[in-house]
Amino acid sequence: MMKIEKMAVIGAGVMGSAIAAQAANAGVPVLLLDIVPEGATDRNMVAKNALKKLQETDPPPLMHRKNLARITPGNIEDDLEKLAEADWIIEAVIEKPDIKHRLYRNLDSVRKSGSVVSSNTSTLPLAELTRDMPENFRRDFLITHFFNPPRYMRLLEIVYGPETRPDALAALVDFGDRRLGKSIVHSNDTPGFIANRIGIFWLQLGLLEALRLGLTVEEADTVISRPFGIPKTGIFGLLDLVGLDLVPHIVPGMDRALPPNDPFHAISQVPDLVTRMIAEGYTGRKGKGGFYRLNRNRGERIKEALDLQTGAYRVSTKPELASIAAMKAGGLAGLLQFHDKTAEYARSVMAQTLAYAAEVAPHVADDLESVDRAMRLGYNWQYGPFELIDRIGDENLVRMLEAMGKPVPDLLRHDGPLYQVVDGRLHGLAFTGTGGTKPTLRAVNRPPGVLLLADVKRRSKPLTKNPSASLWDVGDGVVCLEFQSKMNTFDPLVLKLVHKAVDIVRSDYRALVIYNEADNFSAGANLGVLLFGVNIALWPEVENMVKQGQEAFKALEYAPFPVVGAPSGMALGGGCEILLHCDAVQAHAELYMGLVEAGVGVIPGWGGCKEMLLRAFADKKSPQGPMAPVARVFETVSVATVSKSAQEAKDLLFLRPTDGITMNRDRLLFDAKEKALALSESYAPPEPPVFYLPGPSGKAALDMAIGQYRRLGKATAHDAVVAGALADVLTGGDTDISKPLSEDDLLALERRAFMDLVKRKETIARMEHMLETGKPLRN
Amino acid sequence: MATYKAPLRDMRFIYHEFLADQHLEDMPGMEDVPPELVDAVLEEMAKVAENILFPLNRSGDEEGCRLENGEVHTPRGFKDAYQRYREGGWPGLTSRPEYGGQGLPETVYVLTSEMMSASNLSFAIYTKLTHGAYQLLLKTASEEIKNLYLPNMVEGRWTGTMCLTEPQCGTDLGLLRTKAVPQPDGTYRLTGNKIFISGGEQDLSENIIQMVLARAPDAPPGVKGISLFLVPKFLVNPDGSLGPRNRIFCTAIEHKMGIKGSSTCSLSLEDAAGYLIGDLHKGLRAMFVMMNSARLEVGLQGLGLGEVAYQNAAAYAKERLQGRALTGPKNPDKPADPLIVHPDVRRMLLTMRAYTEGMRAMSAWVGAQLDKENRHPDPGIRQQAEDFVALLTPVVKAFFTDLGFETANLAMQVYGGHGYIREHGIEQFVRDARIAQIYEGANGIQALDLVGRKLPAHAGRYLRSFFHPVQRYLDERAGQAQLAFVTEPLAKAFGRLQRATAFIAERSLADPNEAGAAAYDYLHLFGLTTMAYCWARMAEIAQEKIKDDTTGFYQAKLDTARFFMERILPRTSGLFSAILSGSGSIMDFKDEAF
Repeated sequence: MMKIEKMAVIGAGVMGSAIAAQAANAGVPVLLLDIVPEGATDRNMVAKNALKKLQETDPPPLMHRKNLARITPGNIEDDLEKLAEADWIIEAVIEKPDIKHRLYRNLDSVRKSGSVVSSNTSTLPLAELTRDMPENFRRDFLITHFFNPPRYMRLLEIVYGPETRPDALAALVDFGDRRLGKSIVHSNDTPGFIANRIGIFWLQLGLLEALRLGLTVEEADTVISRPFGIPKTGIFGLLDLVGLDLVPHIVPGMDRALPPNDPFHAISQVPDLVTRMIAEGYTGRKGKGGFYRLNRNRGERIKEALDLQTGAYRVSTKPELASIAAMKAGGLAGLLQFHDKTAEYARSVMAQTLAYAAEVAPHVADDLESVDRAMRLGYNWQYGPFELIDRIGDENLVRMLEAMGKPVPDLLRHDGPLYQVVDGRLHGLAFTGTGGTKPTLRAVNRPPGVLLLADVKRRSKPLTKNPSASLWDVGDGVVCLEFQSKMNTFDPLVLKLVHKAVDIVRSDYRALVIYNEADNFSAGANLGVLLFGVNIALWPEVENMVKQGQEAFKALEYAPFPVVGAPSGMALGGGCEILLHCDAVQAHAELYMGLVEAGVGVIPGWGGCKEMLLRAFADKKSPQGPMAPVARVFETVSVATVSKSAQEAKDLLFLRPTDGITMNRDRLLFDAKEKALALSESYAPPEPPVFYLPGPSGKAALDMAIGQYRRLGKATAHDAVVAGALADVLTGGDTDISKPLSEDDLLALERRAFMDLVKRKETIARMEHMLETGKPLRN
Repeated sequence: MATYKAPLRDMRFIYHEFLADQHLEDMPGMEDVPPELVDAVLEEMAKVAENILFPLNRSGDEEGCRLENGEVHTPRGFKDAYQRYREGGWPGLTSRPEYGGQGLPETVYVLTSEMMSASNLSFAIYTKLTHGAYQLLLKTASEEIKNLYLPNMVEGRWTGTMCLTEPQCGTDLGLLRTKAVPQPDGTYRLTGNKIFISGGEQDLSENIIQMVLARAPDAPPGVKGISLFLVPKFLVNPDGSLGPRNRIFCTAIEHKMGIKGSSTCSLSLEDAAGYLIGDLHKGLRAMFVMMNSARLEVGLQGLGLGEVAYQNAAAYAKERLQGRALTGPKNPDKPADPLIVHPDVRRMLLTMRAYTEGMRAMSAWVGAQLDKENRHPDPGIRQQAEDFVALLTPVVKAFFTDLGFETANLAMQVYGGHGYIREHGIEQFVRDARIAQIYEGANGIQALDLVGRKLPAHAGRYLRSFFHPVQRYLDERAGQAQLAFVTEPLAKAFGRLQRATAFIAERSLADPNEAGAAAYDYLHLFGLTTMAYCWARMAEIAQEKIKDDTTGFYQAKLDTARFFMERILPRTSGLFSAILSGSGSIMDFKDEAF
């Protein structure tokens, strides 16, 4: 297969520059070109400005600031020749066929033979893009449709033409999957491809129906969001996010492009309200506001919502809907059968959207699973449309459509389920050709190197489980420890299963992987359980909780087999500490890892301080001596630093240099398992460490730093108390540099500091605030 | 004949000494409530209770209520007594001055309420619900409604009721059916049947303000679709004068085991006009204001009946001559010794006394927190006080009414056969006390409220308002030998309570039946531990005062404290073991085998 070692992105707009950033995140040098603006002093100005913006954007497109160096800015006039070095050229310029065609001709003249060209178009068909282009170009050309923001949205839609070289396609699929970390969905060359085809219909219908039924935007976004596993932005919040000004471009565009019998034509009018809002600059979050806005009034930020009837802003309120209450009592069916206008709205928008998905699926995709995955990963729906239909029941959906007098797509008349588990494998309906042919049940295909715990669960039973955690046999002698408590927090049951895992693996298996498929690896210790113990002043039990965590993690560390942590998303507090105790970590690139205990007024008490000291003393790249490593850990932990990526986690010592990073979430378990097996070849548990710490003199130095922060107003009174306790642990308490301290000595120091802090009312206030609001309290 | 003497000495001790550390006097508005005023108020209520209410207690029980042509006639003398109660300004004792109230603290109300329940529970019930309806309207009604209704309620011209129960819907309010149909003018028309409505109809007040739960059209099913309405017996004109009779009628009154002087009505709403109070579909939340107030009141009923039962049993035990002391005659010149010489009789009397004085201290502690919740300038302290009241409400309701019934029963035991016959009036206390364990949420429901709602709320924040002060109290007194006779038993009971709390919290995560099975024992463990803390504190105060003790009051306190610690508190050990045995023995039993 051809290798992609250098890339080029043409068009340094929001999408182009962020795609370049993701290539840089993957370690690939990338050329970013744009036009030379008239009268520019710096001819690379556009691309350079884009790079500047990359560093200011939040969430950051770059996983590490050093990745920026991999992007070389340039312009298409002076640097066209440089395209000859690129194995893959991505075009991300304005959606105008003539401009694209001109560019294609220019780059075709310089690009190296065998290189691949793709367009990031979201509206133009491949047939039109390649019209009148030489055959050679057509064979090397595809559409690669990224979703915004490309680092975080996992969907990559790929459209290939009848003449596209299979090896060019295979190279992009492989690179997009492994290196860029995307989940590839093949789309037919149809307008809007898959996700936007359905997504735009849904958004547009949601907008029109809310106006017709007289709902407030909050009502609409409350009912069409969480109940359906859709992000809480709902319809109007999402319109604000993508920008209202896109509506008059996209909606008529789809209207023109879609075949005459498409149901979209019935809803393709742009409401006057939207036209008026755009004219007045209310284009959403990037403009003066949209359906919602934050009104900054004398330092106070008040969320306001647009009254759809009057077009005026008013204070936004969180509606309490009878239909939502009906759902709490009777599930999704309870909501859909309810008799108020919000339920009618949900019924109309969702039934018609799901019917639309069923109508177009055979035309746009190879199978239902592709459509579902596209909506899950492209729109962040928790369930794709067909998974939703399975939840609602297709006969219920048919009844709703008939009651509304809407046509019922053939697919919904299909006998049998849309998805089924056959012989422990997930099967879904697939279309052998495009349109018209009878769908058949086919196994959902996972690429080599993808191992999903969800699939393991379909074909096997857990080795053992309790309400908070489970153990799974993931093959080849490897056991997976999965958390399933609320937010994957550590409670006594999780710790119990950690010990059980050690027993089971020791006697019957080769290695242990700690992994789960929730959005976040673990939010840390169960603060609720801890605070409960604190509230009833049951101090011995609280201390016991600290001790139990220390013992469980120590048992992992010294187990006679390798333990590999495989985190994705947040790994905070105790979730970070368990990973610090693993022999190795295979991390998903999107890893937000940190010891955040200070935020709730305590210090890491499950060996986090101890492990961080070990790493700082072992890190040969940073300054050594008795104090420098201690100060480094203090700086990270005292302010509850969290990594913004796995790459950053290495800088912060949360990951070791030898720990692996997997770009594609779906490949994480497989990679971690490989790592665990490799380690198991000649595994010996680590030797217990010995610490030489500076003691009170070191603490005095850190106290001075704390005092400084306090004077500068950067630390609150309680920040200083917590930092002081942390400093005491990290410097070894009442010791001196000549005195060896054992691991248990440090754990005892952690416990003592923890217990001192947890009894304080400021700490209790912090814990309570975090539990109630999800935000830290600065007291 | 039974007698009643208001326990004024003990009440003064509670208010002035036991609550001294609460510093009620420092709160805004309390400058108008000097100690002498509190004493005067208590003395006046004592007179009302002893001279007006208690004399009607037995006759009211004998006569009961009558329903004639849709009108309820209360027992002879009640109407006149109510008039005098009103004239004394009692209905508005703690109400806000802007509505004509006297603005006295709730702590004082708690003490006066005990006296009313002790002297005549049936009569008291007519007045207590008005207090709850006042609080409900004050917190949730519009200014217009408040201005129109509250002054008359504060004056006692109008009374309040609480209409929840329907024939098919008792504890489970989700089953409620009464319909409320909105009218173009913004009012509602209510249709349905309510039962067990205390004071739903009577001849004491000029108007009855019924607080009714009903379901509006389009309401979601279950408890999330319940709204609260004010339905007056007589419609009220904008100037406050009475208009036409509203279509809410009494169709029957219940014949009951006790509280016979209190009318328990079946009400029929026949397109009755009603006014929405608070938000649509959020009626239950609003009604909880009234229900919580009513639950505390019912707890005080247990205390009141316990007090009057104890007084009579103690007097009887001293005068009734029967048998000889085990150690030889104490009264050789008489045919027999008084009952009081017998250890088991003394056990019963001390149990009763320890209960009633312990409950009084606990109730005043809760009252003081109610005042802090209402008046304290520091929002943190207000919050803590509110948490404490929320936590203790089910304990006061269930623990007090269980102890109240037990006390009345013990009194009957002391009287023997003479308690079982009507002549001495003791059996009435037993009958009257029994209902308090049932109404306003049966005691089992209170226990569920404690473990299911109050424990887990905000990760145990309510618990902090109790556990931290007690832990601090114990820490501060560690090693003080002269107090060890109370602090050591308290520390043990408190440790059991802590561990039982953690046990239930952990177990119920996996299985809600664990919490349900532990609930009742846990509530009693909680009640006993709280009472132990109160006794420890009372004992400490008594120890300081003992040298100037001329009446023996403080010595008796110390001795009762010792009895409580040695003879009652050890029950916590049994409760603790029972809780820790888990739900198995309760839930594994086969349904068919019952």
